Formats: sequence, structure tokens, C-alpha cells
Amino acid sequence: MKTSPLQKKVWPATVAKNPFEEFHSFAAQNEDLPLDRIVQDTEVVMDRIRHGYEKLLEEEAKELVWMVQYNTIIKAYEVAEKFVLEIDYTAEDIEDFCFALENRQKVPYLIPGPAGVYISALCNYAKEEEIALKLSELKTEINLLGFRLPKGRRLVIDGDTGDFTGIGLEGGELSVEGNAKNWTGAGMRSGKILIEKNIGLHTGEWMMGGEIYVGGRVRGLGNIVEGKVFERDKLIYPGKARYPNIYY
Amino acid sequence: MEEKGLQGIIDEIWPRLKKKHLYPEIPIPRTKVAADSSDDEKEGVGLEMKQKQMTINPSFVSQMKDKMPERQVVEALLDHGITHYTFCPWDFHTHLMLYAEAKRVMGEKELAKRVANYFVDVIADTHCVKKRFTEIPELHRYLKRGKAEEVIASLYERIWGMDLGIAPPAVKGKEHEATVRRLARIPYLDRSRWKESIQKFGRSLKPFLVEEEKEEENQGGKRESNPQGEHDLTHYSSEEIDQGLRDYAGKTMALSEFRDVVEDFSEELKEAGYRLEGGMGRGRGTPIDADVLFYMKLAENYSIPLRKIDLEQKGHLHPYSHSPWEVGSPFQEVDVWTSFGKIMPGVTQIWKKKEGKGKGKIEGAPDCLIAIDSSGSMMNPRKSLSYAVLGAACATDAYLRNGSKVGVYNFSDAPMGGKDILNYTDRREKVYHSLCKYFGGGTALDLEDLVPLIQGRKHLDLFVITDMKITNLEALIGFFGQIQNRITAVHIGENPYSARFEKAVGRKKNIDIFTVKRKEDIPHIVLGNIREYFNPTHRD
Repeated sequence: MKTSPLQKKVWPATVAKNPFEEFHSFAAQNEDLPLDRIVQDTEVVMDRIRHGYEKLLEEEAKELVWMVQYNTIIKAYEVAEKFVLEIDYTAEDIEDFCFALENRQKVPYLIPGPAGVYISALCNYAKEEEIALKLSELKTEINLLGFRLPKGRRLVIDGDTGDFTGIGLEGGELSVEGNAKNWTGAGMRSGKILIEKNIGLHTGEWMMGGEIYVGGRVRGLGNIVEGKVFERDKLIYPGKARYPNIYY
Repeated sequence: MEEKGLQGIIDEIWPRLKKKHLYPEIPIPRTKVAADSSDDEKEGVGLEMKQKQMTINPSFVSQMKDKMPERQVVEALLDHGITHYTFCPWDFHTHLMLYAEAKRVMGEKELAKRVANYFVDVIADTHCVKKRFTEIPELHRYLKRGKAEEVIASLYERIWGMDLGIAPPAVKGKEHEATVRRLARIPYLDRSRWKESIQKFGRSLKPFLVEEEKEEENQGGKRESNPQGEHDLTHYSSEEIDQGLRDYAGKTMALSEFRDVVEDFSEELKEAGYRLEGGMGRGRGTPIDADVLFYMKLAENYSIPLRKIDLEQKGHLHPYSHSPWEVGSPFQEVDVWTSFGKIMPGVTQIWKKKEGKGKGKIEGAPDCLIAIDSSGSMMNPRKSLSYAVLGAACATDAYLRNGSKVGVYNFSDAPMGGKDILNYTDRREKVYHSLCKYFGGGTALDLEDLVPLIQGRKHLDLFVITDMKITNLEALIGFFGQIQNRITAVHIGENPYSARFEKAVGRKKNIDIFTVKRKEDIPHIVLGNIREYFNPTHRD
């Protein structure tokens, strides 16, 4: 049988060289760094904190409306406590959550009341006795920060806070390195509130004890039952100079 | 140390480094020659990066000689430098984006630049430590450190899990420890989160940087240089800067943000000889009008088709030969047939055009007169994004790209002097300056201004962009009824006046009317009756 000329042709053995041959010996490093673990753990905790907040909204702000009333605050705090106690978190997680509140992709709804109650619960049950939150870059002023801060705890907030800051304080020390709005220290029982700059109206409304120190101006005092309010180191309550809700 | 010996080390390790970093397109690094290193301040800088050329400073390597073998110092510096090109910041757009986010937090230009620089360094080094076998940690052990660098070194210890010989954060104080804890939580290697990450990075590092800045001011403003090299515009080529500005304008779509960033970098851009027209030049450039640059770069993201007409005896540019396409070159000239439909350096080809010599008719683009309304009812283009100016800018680009000239009639209450007339020119910058002028006030056209601009020009296109709230609209309609030039009328938003205009001239074959409500509508503007071009049966 005859073979065709094509079959007889012998092709050179080294015609085609694999252009990627050099990569055969290449071993890409992919070392596990502590960073990977830290970031992963942070994500897990943040998810749980976010989940707790969303549950709180589901239970307490069904129509995304939340009225600040004594009962609603107490009830929301009790719900928040329930979720917070199940999470193992640090002060940095609280700070990250505050910023996540402004990111609509992470937290769909920021309702300042429940958010403040939830953050207060996180602060009150944190492992650390002193918590510093750098919130000066936050665009929203969160209400109700420092709610029921217990004795032996210190909360330092770098930035401004909203209404009802430090209400129902229970012996803790709340320091705001910025301004605070109205009703600060309302119903506080004991402890200390330090506001570096100015404070709004109804300061210390129904305050039962403790001290409020204001580095700037006090816009108006509330009906104070007991306790002390200082404006630039000067005692203004109890004292003759001020009457409740005097605006100046 | 002898430069020749150092260059020998580079030559020897470079093939291995290229392989390690998966063959980046970077030229072989050089050593700094003695004449360049006269600057005492730069002695502490180990690596310089200009465009894509990395240069190793021999005096820095000499300083480190007692602590670390030269080969390791060079390798660590080059690992760091290469990673800036291959991972972070990667391109000029990312650099600008990171800077803009840092500025939001820091509020001040110099601090924002410093934060952006530290951030890209942390990312580059961390990426290298994770993905490549590198000597970078060893280098960090011996680098000189200021306050902020101390924090960053502690951060490296924590996130890399290596001992770099830094005192434990607890010894350094509570603030130091808290900052390191905060910084360690940032997902540096997640590119999609760099925007939020740099904000957190800046927030955490701010007190140290502010303190460091105060100390520097007390010491006469002298700042220690970054031993791993400074990150400024010299890293990037002219095409990369152009592309970066184009991407940034297109992605932010916010005039004020773009202006802030460009003004912050204006000194560097000037030093680099960057000009509005034609990218980079030689020598120190003139101040850059950031608003004009914004519309220029934004317009480059859109391409409006232009139907050509038969022009007589015009030495028109026609495709003559091919040349390779490079990143940053215009896409409009790409020859899709010889490029196999691919946009890739080395594969894609562009047409080089040459002026024709023959007489007779040749297809070409006529000159264009752009009439733009800048009355009070229109958006001020220097305050926020004006669709009118963007539309006109796109039209300008379309005509200039085709070798035509553009004239501008910018009007508000023209009979009262609210007008600016620019004669036909191919100077893009001049046209844009004219388009960006804003008068405010009432709206009226002065036809006596328009007639001399149109008269005697057989082939001339008109591009009118207005909200049609013109007090002498009837006169304009009458004028358009008389002329035979191709007219593209674009009205911003819909109102009774635009409806009246449409009704009056809508049937005329030489007039096309388009509505712009959103920026996405701009590409739908087709200059010079594109419908007829594709469907010639519609022609008269």
C-alpha cells in the first residue's frame, strides 16, 4: 500500500513552544495574614450588630415612625438590650456601626431615636469600661446617646450629639467633645455630663441628681429637681441667675 | 556606594522581580546619578518614580548597608514601587478618587495628600507581603519614622503578624494603641471598599498628622521625605493624567468636586506643563481653568456622530496609513477591521490622516456655529453641571475631530450687550472658554449678530442649544425658515416655548430638534441629520 506524501512528512519537534512555559515554575504566594482574620471577624460582628438594629426597628418602629416618649424609650431599650447581650463586640465595632448607619447600602434606615437607644445599649454592655467614639465626621447628630450610662463607665464622644443626650444617666460619665442639643441630661439620676461646647434648651429637665458641665453656653435650663449645672466653671443651677427655659 | 555596582544588582534581580510580579510593563529601574542627587533633602528617599521609570537612590542604599544587605534593600524598594503600578493606586483616576475621599475627612489639602500617600503605601506593602515573597518587612524595620509612621509601623506589626522592632502599642500610649486597633480593622486589600476605607484611615490617623504638621511648622516647615518615594503626578504619563481626569469627570459628574481636586493639584499640573489643550507640554504651564477642564474631559466620554456632506475643493484629511494605538489615544480613529475588533495596545491600530490634494467634491464636515443660551433660566456652568454646555462641548468635539472649525455665539439678552462672539477657530480651549461664559438675565437673540457669522458660508452647520424661553422666538423661527444650512436645535427641558418652536420648524428637512432632560440624552443628539445618512431615500 502506498503512503501519501503528506503522511511521510516529518514535522520538526520544536516548532511550537508554550509561551506560558515560564509560569510552570511560578508559585504564587498567598499568605494568610492576621489582617484577613481581623477583617473577617469584624464583618461577622458588624453583621450581627446590624441585624440587631434591624430587628429593633421591626419591633419598635414598624411604620418607620418613632415618637420619643418615656415608655417608647424604655421599651426600645429593653428590646435593644436583648439583642446586644447576644453579641461579642468591642468599642471599635460601635464606632463602625455609627458610620455604617450613614451608609444606605449597609443599613437601609437611620432613625435617630432607635439608633441612639441601640448605640447606648451597646455602650452600656461593652467589655471596655471606657469607650471613645470618634464621631466628628458623622453627618447626622444621633439622639439619645449615653442613655442610662451606668456607674463606672465613661463614654467619650468626639463630635456633636443630638437631642436627649445623656438622659436617664445612672452614674456614668459622659463627655461630649462638641455641642449637644436640647433636653441634655433630662431625668438623669447621678453621674457627670461634660459638654465641651454649647448646649441647647431644656437642659437637665427633671434631673434628679448628678452634674452637667458646659464649656460653652447653655441656651436654656429645664425644670430641674436636683443636681448641678455649670456654665464655664460657674454654677448656674442651683442659683438665682437662671429660671427654667430662659432663652438668651 | 558605586552606582555601577548598584546597577549591576538591579540588572541581576530585575528578571526575577518581573517574573514575581507577573511581568508588568515597566522599564528596567535605574540608579540615580550623582548629579541628580545634589538635593540634601532627598537623601532619605530610596526610590523615585517618574512616569514608569523607577530610580534607586545609591546614597539611601549606602545608608542602609550596615543594617541590611544592599540586594535586599533594592528588592524591597522595587517590590514596593512595582506594586504601586500593579495594584494600588494602579491609575491616576484611583489616585484622584482616594485623594478626594481623604480631603472630605481631613478638610485640608496637604493633610489629605499625606493620608492618601500613607494609604496607598499601606495597601501596596500589605499586598506585597500577602501575595509575593518580599523583603519589605525587613526594610520597615530600619526606616526612619515620624509620629504617624510609628503608628503605621505598629499597624504593620499587627496586620502582618511580624515583629518589626517597634515598642508595643501599650508602651506608646493609649491613643497610639486605640488608633492601631482602629486602623487594623480596615480591609486594605478590598479594592471595592477603598473609598470608605480611606475615610476611616484618615479619621483615625488625623490627630497624629495634625500634631506632626504642627511640629514641622515649629521646625520651619521642613518635612521628612517618604523613604519609599513620594506619590505625586510625576508617576503618571500625560496620557494617564488625561485618562484619569476623563474618568474622574465622568464618574463624579460633579463640577464642584472636580474643581476642588483639580485646583488642589493645580501646582503639580502646572509644574508638569499640563495644558487644557493637547495634554502635556514642556515647561511650566499656565493656570488651569478647572471648570473648562471638567467639560472638556466629560465631553470626551461622549461621542456624537456627525454626518458628512459633499464639500468642494477642500483639502480634507483622509485615512492614509496605520499606526499603533496606545492607551489614552482617541478611540475615534481606531480602524476596527485591522484591529480585529479589539482595543488592546499592540493589536489595535489607528488611522493616520493626510490632507488630500485632488480637486472636486470630497466628503467632509463643514464648520459649525454654536449658539448657546446663557440666560438666567439656564444653569450657570461654573456652579453646577450644565447640560447645555456639555451638549455644546460634545458638538464642538465632533466638529473639531473632523478637522472643521467652530464659532460660538453665547447669548442672554444680546441686544442689551449680553453676548460673546467667538470667530471660527480650531482652538478647542478658546471654544470651551467661550461656551463656559455665563451672563444670566433675559433671553433675546440679535439676528444682526448672527447674519455676518452665517453669510457667505455655503457649507455651515448651526447648533443651537437653549431652553427656548427666548423673547424674540418668532424672529428666530422666521430666520431659520429662510436659511438652508443644516440646523441642530437642542432644547433643555420641555415647555410651551419649545413646543411652539417644534411646531413651527419641525417639518423643515434641514432642522433636527432634540430634547435634553438628562445627561444620558446627550449621546442621542445627532449632528447633521444622521437619519438621512443611513436612509438616503428620505433625502429631498
